[in-house]
Amino acid sequence: MLDSIFHPRSVAIIGASQGVTATGSVKIGTAALKYLVEHGFKGKVYPINPREKELMGLKCYKSIREVQGDVDLACIVVPSKACIATMKECAEKGVKAAVVFASGFAEIGDKALQDELLGIARKAKIRFVGPNTAGTINVPDHLVTSISMSCEMNPFREGGIAFITQSGALGASMLSRGMDEGVGFSYWVSTGNEADLDAADYINYFVKDDKVKVITLFTEGIRHGKKFISSCLSAIKAKKPVLIYKTGLSEVSVAAAASHTGAMAGSDEVFDKVCKQFGVIRVDDVAELFPLAEVFSWVGDCLPRGNRVGIVSASGGICGVGADECFRAGLEIPELTESCKEKIRTFIPSFGAVRNPVDCTGQIRSSGTGYQDTVKCVMGEDYIDGMLILVTMAAGTRAEFYGREITNIASNTTKPVIVAWTGALSLAQDGYPLLKRNKVPNFLTVRGAVKAMKALADYRAYLDRILA
Amino acid sequence: MKLIEDAVKKGQKNLSEYEAKKLLAAYNIPVTREELVRSKGVALQVARVIGYPVVLKFCSYKVIHKTEMGLIETNLRNDEDLIRAFDNMQVKLDRKFDDREYLVQEMVKGSRELVAGMIRDVEFGPCIMFGLGGIFTEILKDVTFRVAPINKADVLEMTKELRARNILGSVRGMEAVDLDVLTSCLEGLGRLGLEQYAVKDVDINPLIIRGNQLVAVDALVTLHERT
Repeated sequence: MLDSIFHPRSVAIIGASQGVTATGSVKIGTAALKYLVEHGFKGKVYPINPREKELMGLKCYKSIREVQGDVDLACIVVPSKACIATMKECAEKGVKAAVVFASGFAEIGDKALQDELLGIARKAKIRFVGPNTAGTINVPDHLVTSISMSCEMNPFREGGIAFITQSGALGASMLSRGMDEGVGFSYWVSTGNEADLDAADYINYFVKDDKVKVITLFTEGIRHGKKFISSCLSAIKAKKPVLIYKTGLSEVSVAAAASHTGAMAGSDEVFDKVCKQFGVIRVDDVAELFPLAEVFSWVGDCLPRGNRVGIVSASGGICGVGADECFRAGLEIPELTESCKEKIRTFIPSFGAVRNPVDCTGQIRSSGTGYQDTVKCVMGEDYIDGMLILVTMAAGTRAEFYGREITNIASNTTKPVIVAWTGALSLAQDGYPLLKRNKVPNFLTVRGAVKAMKALADYRAYLDRILA
Repeated sequence: MKLIEDAVKKGQKNLSEYEAKKLLAAYNIPVTREELVRSKGVALQVARVIGYPVVLKFCSYKVIHKTEMGLIETNLRNDEDLIRAFDNMQVKLDRKFDDREYLVQEMVKGSRELVAGMIRDVEFGPCIMFGLGGIFTEILKDVTFRVAPINKADVLEMTKELRARNILGSVRGMEAVDLDVLTSCLEGLGRLGLEQYAVKDVDINPLIIRGNQLVAVDALVTLHERT
């Protein structure tokens, strides 16, 4: 159903242009064409502008009616008042889908204009994104129908995360920052006013796509609650995690949302519980969304069976931090059994702490295998569901040791292993990058690592409860 | 449901406590033993059947804030108490209300008060609300929500979300609430919301824990405005 939007064979840019605005920024009509072409879309591209004969080396048409071949997707980059006539032309042409960029619809109070647009599209069976959207991106297929400056980043970083955003500008900045920080994406869609397609439609589409491992959303309000709930349940059945950041905690943000997309917001408390009820992970910090999504995509089905963690470190101090953060997050740190403790005593110096969290002490560096053996020993206990490995100061070859050995351990277990690396990265370049390269979840803070482990445990509990 | 239809026809914005309790009872929510009476004489008869101590309440859909208006008399231990309470209430009522009705209700003692309700969320439809009730309801706002319909697994999760969750357990020698009883109650509220379109919201406060059972002592059911 949304194949024509995310996998069109031909794209028309209605309102394509060239040149810059008074302040020197690329015009929106120029951006739409430029990014589609520069990101390497392999299908047919038809710029439409009655005032141009040729744009970016491509033949430019006076109207979409003049295009000979089929047009799967029409990007409508004309002012709101002109969208009605344009959509009618697209209907005549037999276009299958559209992306409508113009603002000036329901979000400024003109619901009538938006309804008229929807009416024309529905009659012609055209599905469309927006209006008031910043566009769509299919990273693996190099399809970029976006006017956002984030598209200056070329090539995009490919990966398993799909991002559905109700904010064009924030959504684009999150995308580019995410890619900067090494997170890869499969799809990006700015939903705009959701006159036709809404967040739930995109969730349903991405649930079925193998290129999507995790679905993320930035939302200000959910339009059709029952439909949304149904899409979340589909995601749970497919075991595809859905992570959401939603505004609306404060009345001020609720008012901002209403003017942004013309949507009415319900209670935030209810939304919070809806997430718990239907298996959605809600993050309360926008900056956590992608790092957490990445952890989910790396961990796959190595989810913790419960919320009991083992903690190992070479620092007693960070063991205390780890314990406190786990307490804050609601994770348990079970006491180790006597037999486990006896084994550990043979691995670590006599002055180490043989309890959970285990402090191997800095002296563990003189042992070739003591650290690894300790971690494996704790992880092997059946009352331990996940491992937190807390690294403090490690430089040069020691950093390399940690990077290599932790990667080894993480690759040979079905329990999740999350690392917090708190020492200077500048000194750890021989080891720290190995973690990311090998998809071992890692954070620069203990809190980040702990919150991620809790999210994994929560998700596992959702699966168990909902699929039971 | 006839009782709701009748109330809507009369243009009521909400049900009286008596009507509300009848509605709740139809949805498996345990309510106080009570009768609607119009005279002192019948009140006394009812009190003897229910068994003292009883509570006397003025009952009208027009009066929502009974406590504030002094129209509730509690801990009536015998006929004399009930007579005195009835007479006091006539004074309070003054010349207002022609068609006077009263509730004679069993007195439920219980220090553990919960709140349960149904609200219609603009995005998600009928939702069940549950949490710490009594005078601390608005002060602590220790409540949680679920979208109807719900099941036992949902109710278990809800209990874990309350800061005051230990109140449901066996605290200070009192029995723990039976989870099946709580589930039946909340699941019933959910069905009410899904089936009774004329009902706008439901507020049961207090829902008192009695042994391992629950009993709704007071309830407010508001109706949608007739368009």
